[in-house]
Amino acid sequence: MKILITGASGFLGKHVVAEAIRKGHQVRAVIRPSTDEKSIIWHNHPSVELSRIDLRRKSGITDALKDIDGVIHLAAAKEGDFYTRFAGTVIGTENLLDAMVKVGVLRLVCISSFAVFDYNNIPKGSTIHEDSPQETNPLLREEYAQTKLIQEKLVYEFEETHKAQVTIIRPALIYGRNNLWSTLLGGRLTDNLWLRIGAHATMPLTYVENCAEAIILAVESKEAIGQTINVIDDNLPTQRTYVKKLKKRTNALPKMIPVNWTLMRSIAVLMWAYNQKFLKGQAKFPGIFYPGTLDTRFKHFRFSNARAKNILNWTPKYSLDTALDISCREVEFIDIPNSTLPLYPSPSQQLDISNQEVKSNIPSLINSPIPSPIPQVSTNSNS
Amino acid sequence: MITLDKKPGINTEETPAFPNKIIKSAVIGAGAISKEHLSFLSKSENVDLVGVCDLSRIAAKYAQERFGAKGYFTDYQKMLEVAKPDIVHILTPANTHKKIASDCLKAGIHVFCEKPIAPTYDEFHELYNLAQSYQRHLIENQNYCFNKEILAIKKLVADGIIGEVQEVEVRLVAPIRNGGAFADENLPNPIHQMPAGVIHDFITHLCSLIVRFIPDFQTCNALWSNHGGGDLFKYDDLDAVVIGGSSHARIRFSCHTSPKCFSVIVRGSKGYVETDLFQPYLRCVIPRGGELLSPMINHFINGCNFIGATFSNFRNKIMQQTAYEGIYTLLDETYEALIHEQDLPISFEDMERTNKLINLLLLEAKKV
Repeated sequence: MKILITGASGFLGKHVVAEAIRKGHQVRAVIRPSTDEKSIIWHNHPSVELSRIDLRRKSGITDALKDIDGVIHLAAAKEGDFYTRFAGTVIGTENLLDAMVKVGVLRLVCISSFAVFDYNNIPKGSTIHEDSPQETNPLLREEYAQTKLIQEKLVYEFEETHKAQVTIIRPALIYGRNNLWSTLLGGRLTDNLWLRIGAHATMPLTYVENCAEAIILAVESKEAIGQTINVIDDNLPTQRTYVKKLKKRTNALPKMIPVNWTLMRSIAVLMWAYNQKFLKGQAKFPGIFYPGTLDTRFKHFRFSNARAKNILNWTPKYSLDTALDISCREVEFIDIPNSTLPLYPSPSQQLDISNQEVKSNIPSLINSPIPSPIPQVSTNSNS
Repeated sequence: MITLDKKPGINTEETPAFPNKIIKSAVIGAGAISKEHLSFLSKSENVDLVGVCDLSRIAAKYAQERFGAKGYFTDYQKMLEVAKPDIVHILTPANTHKKIASDCLKAGIHVFCEKPIAPTYDEFHELYNLAQSYQRHLIENQNYCFNKEILAIKKLVADGIIGEVQEVEVRLVAPIRNGGAFADENLPNPIHQMPAGVIHDFITHLCSLIVRFIPDFQTCNALWSNHGGGDLFKYDDLDAVVIGGSSHARIRFSCHTSPKCFSVIVRGSKGYVETDLFQPYLRCVIPRGGELLSPMINHFINGCNFIGATFSNFRNKIMQQTAYEGIYTLLDETYEALIHEQDLPISFEDMERTNKLINLLLLEAKKV
């Protein structure tokens, strides 16, 4: 297939492109105009063509879609206020979908998020799956969830109106190199001090390479058309287990003040009730003092990846231990097949590192950068 | 003062402009600043929010649903025809204001426009003359002049507490180069196309505050710099001194100092008063209790005020009251004035003086 991948230079995007190359696809990778292409390992791979556009404006998108069989839409804004995220996530998607309709490209794999579920009203201990209720009052949620919910609506509308072939992938929290510490563990007080909330909740995680593989399987799969699929790894750790495993591999964890989950939630509920009753809901507290946000991150749930396994025939390749080992290595390897190799390399060929990325992008938790002649890859996810 | 001629629909003797005291309002541009306007419009009893327009359909739709507008549009001309607003809030990028405002005025609709209303002084006059010829109101948003602290300073001046105004200093520090919309090279902000570049986004605030205390100037020295370099920013620093009669004003914009602040100091013949609109407080140093005790009493009173400001700023942060608080007072007074056919809170003179001062500063840039 010839695939257009937006957000290609981001944390997940660079792995999705690498996986697409490994699977023999031709990729048109959308990167932002100011992105330094030399920082991306696959920038000059023969299977990759770079397209420098910013999805927040319409110009250039239809050209980028020329001869494309399918689109993997990863680009989203993960930082900034609501309107910054709205522009990056929602308007970017609107412009992309409009262009797809214009040129008649109607196969889309859109990357949404686990953030869209109504964790506040889903009973504790329930299993979160694709048909779990979605948040019905987005204004009670953080900006990321708000914009992802609007994005999903746009995509469903696109599917319905234009009879488009859509797959929505909802990854759990994606971890990997430079993204090991997580808001599922607590709330940040200062740069190096966190409130660690709870210890026994199961963390909905997916390792970045596992997730990338599922996304490529989705774009290849006819069965995935018309489906919404959660992507989440097997054998999920509790918060405590995850921190223990991380501690074994790095010393540079932030300091933590542990807080009991029940106590924290009681405080949040009290503050919420006070806000509603006496402050007319006008007060804005930090996210961890909102029951909705707190439940999203720390409430005890179980998670199912049955649909991903059934439809995509996907099994997470990397266990948590392996993924953490890879993520904490001093150098990063992204294996992509050498251009002289067959399009579908054998497993042994896949291990060939002759065209591997070797970079000094050390996890932020480790303070020992190693000089490398090869530039770092940007981990910014916006394109 | 220039006043509007009487005409049907605005100030006739037979029929009040808005007999049922409801004004049909619409908004063009659903970006970040629209939140402030729409928050007011959706709550005001004097407003019937008939439409929201944005080039992005989803942005217009979101704003319509979020703030309860009657309709949403992607073509403002269509909105003017279909929704028939009495007043339109123009919240689009600055380089589009003149065209959209002209079209609205020609359609017989009052205009409340975000700053800067026009790129140049001449274009401001052109627009204002158009408003006059169509007997419509044209209002530039100068919201910071309506923040509580500025209103308090104006009262101190009006009451003669600090004496005759001798000096005004307005200093705005904003990290425009540290990421964010202004530093975005992927989608350069349209404000970069304005004569003062990014500083044009702030200059109306700076100048509108100055002219509230010193209305006219004869001498101007302004240094426009691009200390950070690069092609994206035309200027990132302004240091200006302007003199009107014997009164001096200092206008300062910086992105190389920190923290963020919007400091206003007004010095009079008897004392001075200062505030920071981003972390509001009011420090007033005036003669209190004789020459000997005055410094001590001023310290004590201002110390208490500082402590009070700490708590009120904390409360404001929790209650989501931002430095934009003045816009709610301004809009409320504007709509009341429109309904009751009274003088608007921002007069032609306010806008004329502000844009004249901006012009003076820009002329200095051209000299370089």
